[in-house]
Amino acid sequence: MIATRLPSLIDDLRAVVGVDGVLSAHSDLVVYECDGFVIEKNCPDVAVFPRTTEHVQAIVRLCNEYEVPFLPRGAGTSLAGGCLPVGGGVMIVLTRMKEILEINHRDRYAVVQPGVVNVWLTQALKGSGYHYAPDPSSQGACTIGGNVATNSGGPHTLKYGVTVNHVLGVEAVMADGTLVQFGGPAEDDLGLDLTGLLVGSEGTLAIVTKVWVRLTRDPQGWRTMLGIFESVADATNAISAIIGAGIVPAALEMMDQGILVAVEAAFHFGFPLDAQAILLIEVDGLEAGLDHQRDRIIELCREHRARDVRLAASASERQLLWKCRKQAFGAVGRLSPSYCTQDGVVPRTKLPHILDRIIEISRKYNVRIVNVFHAGDGNIHPILLFDERDREQVTRVLAASGEILDECIACGGSVTGEHGIGVEKIEFMHKLFTADDLDVMRRVRDALNPRRNLSPAKMLPVAGACGLEQRHPGRRAAL
Amino acid sequence: VSIITSPLPLSHTIAPASQSEFADIVARGFSAGTPIYPLAGGTGLSLGLPARREGWGLATTNLNRIVDYPARDMTITVEAGITMQALAGELLHQGQRLPIDVPQADVATLGGVVATATSGPRRYAHGTMRDYVIGICAVDGRGVAFKAGGRVVKNVAGYDFCKLLTGSRGSLAVITQVTLKLRPAAETTALVACDLREVRDAEPLLANLVRSSVTPTAIELLAGPEWARDPALGPITSPVRARLVVGLEGTEPEVKWMTAQLSAEWRHAGVSQSRVIDGSTADQLWARLVEFPAAAAPDLVVKASMVPSAVARFVQTVLDLDANCSLQAHAGNGVVFVCFPEFSAADALRVLICGLQPAAVKAGGHACVYACSPGTELTHQAVWGPMAAEAAVMRTVKSQFDPKGILNPGLSPFEC
Repeated sequence: MIATRLPSLIDDLRAVVGVDGVLSAHSDLVVYECDGFVIEKNCPDVAVFPRTTEHVQAIVRLCNEYEVPFLPRGAGTSLAGGCLPVGGGVMIVLTRMKEILEINHRDRYAVVQPGVVNVWLTQALKGSGYHYAPDPSSQGACTIGGNVATNSGGPHTLKYGVTVNHVLGVEAVMADGTLVQFGGPAEDDLGLDLTGLLVGSEGTLAIVTKVWVRLTRDPQGWRTMLGIFESVADATNAISAIIGAGIVPAALEMMDQGILVAVEAAFHFGFPLDAQAILLIEVDGLEAGLDHQRDRIIELCREHRARDVRLAASASERQLLWKCRKQAFGAVGRLSPSYCTQDGVVPRTKLPHILDRIIEISRKYNVRIVNVFHAGDGNIHPILLFDERDREQVTRVLAASGEILDECIACGGSVTGEHGIGVEKIEFMHKLFTADDLDVMRRVRDALNPRRNLSPAKMLPVAGACGLEQRHPGRRAAL
Repeated sequence: VSIITSPLPLSHTIAPASQSEFADIVARGFSAGTPIYPLAGGTGLSLGLPARREGWGLATTNLNRIVDYPARDMTITVEAGITMQALAGELLHQGQRLPIDVPQADVATLGGVVATATSGPRRYAHGTMRDYVIGICAVDGRGVAFKAGGRVVKNVAGYDFCKLLTGSRGSLAVITQVTLKLRPAAETTALVACDLREVRDAEPLLANLVRSSVTPTAIELLAGPEWARDPALGPITSPVRARLVVGLEGTEPEVKWMTAQLSAEWRHAGVSQSRVIDGSTADQLWARLVEFPAAAAPDLVVKASMVPSAVARFVQTVLDLDANCSLQAHAGNGVVFVCFPEFSAADALRVLICGLQPAAVKAGGHACVYACSPGTELTHQAVWGPMAAEAAVMRTVKSQFDPKGILNPGLSPFEC
């Protein structure tokens, strides 16, 4: 159907956004065939670049008229295939809606369009005493619209919460082209918390065109520490001890020996390469309380056999430490031609157990696995290293990945803490939720997206089916 | 079992002891088309319009077990009928808390607090209920038990029904079990207060607090007779129209530093006298700040929300309308509770529809009736104010959870 009517649809889309706002040549569309999850690929039939909310509405109405599937896309950094255009159709790329519309310091909010890159807002707020708290590691590229779609986290969510805790309201275009606004600059909107429902809905319920975000006061000071441990178990036990002592660090990140080697080669921080695990621990807040917290953390690390606890001596050293952490994934390219980052969650006290299991699984499948993750939240990111040209390795990595996530579920956790279900993890939804749980979710999706043409085949498995079989586990590091 | 005095039109009240019994009863209500009114502590039943259709009360009172409390994970899974006081007691044993302020905590239950998204002064630092519910079990209007979220603090699998059900006033499902994220208990607390000659004097001080290096837990702007005689705030000696109270929490050195810093900032801003309240007097004042919306039994309580910078102006508008009002503004959040000691339905047009509601809407928010004395006949417009077109989307969502409209019928703002 789409092939015959495609030229007409392209003309109509050009009439809405102009000639330079539509891409339809295959060579141009290849960029949009996948996001950070490159296992499954499919080109959209057309990519369209709205600049206004009215554009988005008009595009959505055309998609309905032509009966083609459509989906929104930000920077395409999703690691779960949230932007995969299943069934082709129209990809609505929101990167030209990139205005910071308002920054209101007095009322502590900002209004942004969905294509605003996360770090742009942080930069725009620099020096104001306020910042936007959610800071995913991809913040230099990912958009706030995409953050809203996946309810993104980041290293500082331990104390400050994830995206949904910072979204006051959204303007959105529903699947039929209707424009709505849920929430806004004031708190406690009347009626149902549809803002809370839309955040994290992975583009399956509406296309967000404007976001009201809460701004967070910059802390007066920081203490950033590096705990160096001889064993992973000692490090994870120290984490539990710190939290158990009533300290809520701003961030508590762990890197194991495998990833340290790659990070050190890339950034030359001076990490001890023989350490089995390091903890990056940051506390922030009032200066009056920080030294006490620092001392307590150092004491607890030592109690758990830390070989050494170093303190970032200056702001620039702190920045370098965070750069090492946030760009650790990029450094993985030094270790292996391909890698697959997982995103499991376990209760924090189960970290020693899950990390032991990961070592066992690594041996069982003969797959090298390195770890860098949000330890304070129990959000693990095991990175499975392989060469995707070797089909046999690919099969082993797939099996190892699945077993790690199954173990997370067995520990009472989840298969995704911040990346989303997308297409990657649909098959796990049956393991996390009962048929009744999924049915209620499906009813809501079908009520707001009745033709199921907005972001089809995402997040929720097809009723009665066991989900799509995953064919490939990871992505090429070089990409 | 009829244990609750309720303004609801109940034929009888059932208090099942298990989540599966809840599902069975709702399924029966669904078959019969009988309204079901979830209840427990009965503290939130005066919200909104009075219920009209006779139905069954479904009490969570017997569903009050702690299912799992892995304290070192700082999460807890509890059944919905536990009282907030019992929950707080359990948490305090482990040096933890759920930092949500709830009036009448000895009777108010967790399920009710989630359903009504009750909050209080500490929301400035700690957020509201939606920030703490990480897992939820509920029974929808068909009698189907379902869950969402999980038991870990970070989880993006599936739609976030934890948010959707929080504040849904029992209109989508009966909440039977909740998993919460927890925080460490505060080591110590103090409050710093000053008196203002004019309400408008509040705005510069409130704006300063946004830029201050002090990190308040609560920012409360208070006015009216209820606060004029507050024992902790002391007697009013000069012409005073409002009182500003800032709540501080943290370690001893932090609170000590903030107390001194804030007093200095206020002196610099021209506040001639401020008072530091600590120890048991502080605890008592915190309690009054938490209880205020439910404490006195005035004829009418209105809850308004707006951008924070509009709060002082809004308070002035209210006092101009009725000088006998007592008000409490969570000024940092733009949430204001107004108690009218005297109010009759005849005042609705002047006070609500042409008074508070347009003032709040102009400030980016809304004003609605939080409680009113029994028998006051108010219209939907008077109670909720204008509802935006988004109400249609809310009705669509409700119809999926509750296709026959049997859960708390008529009690939600988006219902016609």
